[in-house]
Amino acid sequence: MSLFNTDRDFSIISKMIPSRSKIIDVGCGDGSLLDYLIKKKNVDGRGLEIDQDKIRECLAKGISAIQGDADIDLIDYPDKSFDYSILTYTLQATKRPKKVLEELVRISNKAIVSFPNFGYWKIRMSLLLNGKMPVSNELSYSWHETPNLHFCTIYDFIDLCEATDIKIEKKVNLKKNVIQSFNNKEWFENFFSGSGMFLISKK
Amino acid sequence: MSNNKIIDLGSSEDPLVLDCGKSIGPIKTAFTTYGELNETKSNAILVCHALTGDQYVASEHPITKKDGWWSLLIGPEKSIDTNKYFVICPNVIGGCMGSTGPNEINPKTGKEYGLDFPVVTIGDMVKAQKLLIDSFGIEKLFSVIGGSMGGMLVLEWLSKFPSYVFSAIPIATTTNHSAQNIALNELARQAIMADPEWKSGNYNIENTKPVKGLSVARMAAHISYLSEQSLHEKFGRNLQNKNKIEFSFDADFQVESYLRHQGFKFVDRFDANSYLYITRAMDYFDLKAENNGSLIEAFKNTNAHILCASFTSDWLYPTSENKVIIKAFNALGLNVSFVEIETDNGHDSFLLDEPEFFQTIKGFLDATYKKL
Repeated sequence: MSLFNTDRDFSIISKMIPSRSKIIDVGCGDGSLLDYLIKKKNVDGRGLEIDQDKIRECLAKGISAIQGDADIDLIDYPDKSFDYSILTYTLQATKRPKKVLEELVRISNKAIVSFPNFGYWKIRMSLLLNGKMPVSNELSYSWHETPNLHFCTIYDFIDLCEATDIKIEKKVNLKKNVIQSFNNKEWFENFFSGSGMFLISKK
Repeated sequence: MSNNKIIDLGSSEDPLVLDCGKSIGPIKTAFTTYGELNETKSNAILVCHALTGDQYVASEHPITKKDGWWSLLIGPEKSIDTNKYFVICPNVIGGCMGSTGPNEINPKTGKEYGLDFPVVTIGDMVKAQKLLIDSFGIEKLFSVIGGSMGGMLVLEWLSKFPSYVFSAIPIATTTNHSAQNIALNELARQAIMADPEWKSGNYNIENTKPVKGLSVARMAAHISYLSEQSLHEKFGRNLQNKNKIEFSFDADFQVESYLRHQGFKFVDRFDANSYLYITRAMDYFDLKAENNGSLIEAFKNTNAHILCASFTSDWLYPTSENKVIIKAFNALGLNVSFVEIETDNGHDSFLLDEPEFFQTIKGFLDATYKKL
């Protein structure tokens, strides 16, 4: 999925994380983001990743990573193990997104979460006009082979946080590349943003 | 490349005090080394062998004439590159390849110890290894690595001598034996002791050898090192050099013939009493109980970089038991990594050619070395 604009997202995530923070990247892939944050912010980073080949790439970069599943293995971390946890474009592939979000704000003081926004106008148009599940450069899987289980819109994400013990501290406007305080749902964000990124914590 | 050495460590005045309360000193440790220790003594890797392993980790075994048990992993240009690292592999005390053990001469009697040898523990083995490391003047091992019982030794190092360990790789191991582990070891011990040639452990003095008991012990253990899948794929119900069953108790099936062969060849290189002592040490190992039920307590003083590995088809030290260790390391906020290698080769996988496993170790060691 190329929805992830690596340079843009790495730099905005880096802005949210103070130097020397202790962080965990859940679904860390080959460790690129951790590597970036270690070099840029001198963070003490850990990774959790399901794919063993990617774990090997992490280790070769000198990054500590555990082969595991966000749905299963986050429970093994004690409360407040980290200053920040990061979950980029992985939420939609988890079996129990609500539980995963609750675990993130339990094991860390704050969590940065990003996900593809199904409320994006292009996705709405695609379904409306084609009558088929949207497939694009950004969401490149056909419905029958997608690893993504739980798509949501920015509205849905905000509703879920409100219904649970999760506080939204900041929202990221990825178009303008700025971090903003969060007050209310904004219809145009849900309509015009290809993805959402939020800084959350436990209420 | 073989360079077996034997060193006396400690002395009668300054003996090794064992966990059982008895003392032995001096103790002999047989070991091999590979590569060169650098000037700052910062490139040493201690390799800990498993139950029936020995110091011949990367050089030809003097009895079997086979390559070292980890010669696929360790050597010049290999995953553990001996052009870069200095590898030390000692035979554990209680062993039978030259280190002090039940097969060695008791200086008090001038005869083999037999069962007069004190019961040793994993902790005692590590204390002896520490004396060896001290003899090199090494104050910090770059890494300590081992699988199975070797992994227990690695964990013991992390718990008892944390400041000596910069990085550690415990593989397919546990902090304490399960009832099933103990049961399997007891089966092996009873097989040895049931052999009339065992002579209450005095077979050396009485010039006999409990080969049958020891080979049955090995056969039972060998099954536990494999997986149902690998046994099925290797042998199925294939018959051994025959077309039909013979209504006898000869080795009709290939798997029978294979196990008998494993048992018979084992007795040439291993001592029955050593088998009793080392399995006992493994059964007694319990880092959790030692620390009032807390593994966090057991590892609280280490800040080593750690890589844990397990194998999907290992039912002797399954992934779940390795994850217990990782949970403790995570709780301590350590730099811990973990991989579960997918393979049908069972517990034995750590000794076999598993390229992904080797690459994982290489990546971890080389990247960690840069952090020294």
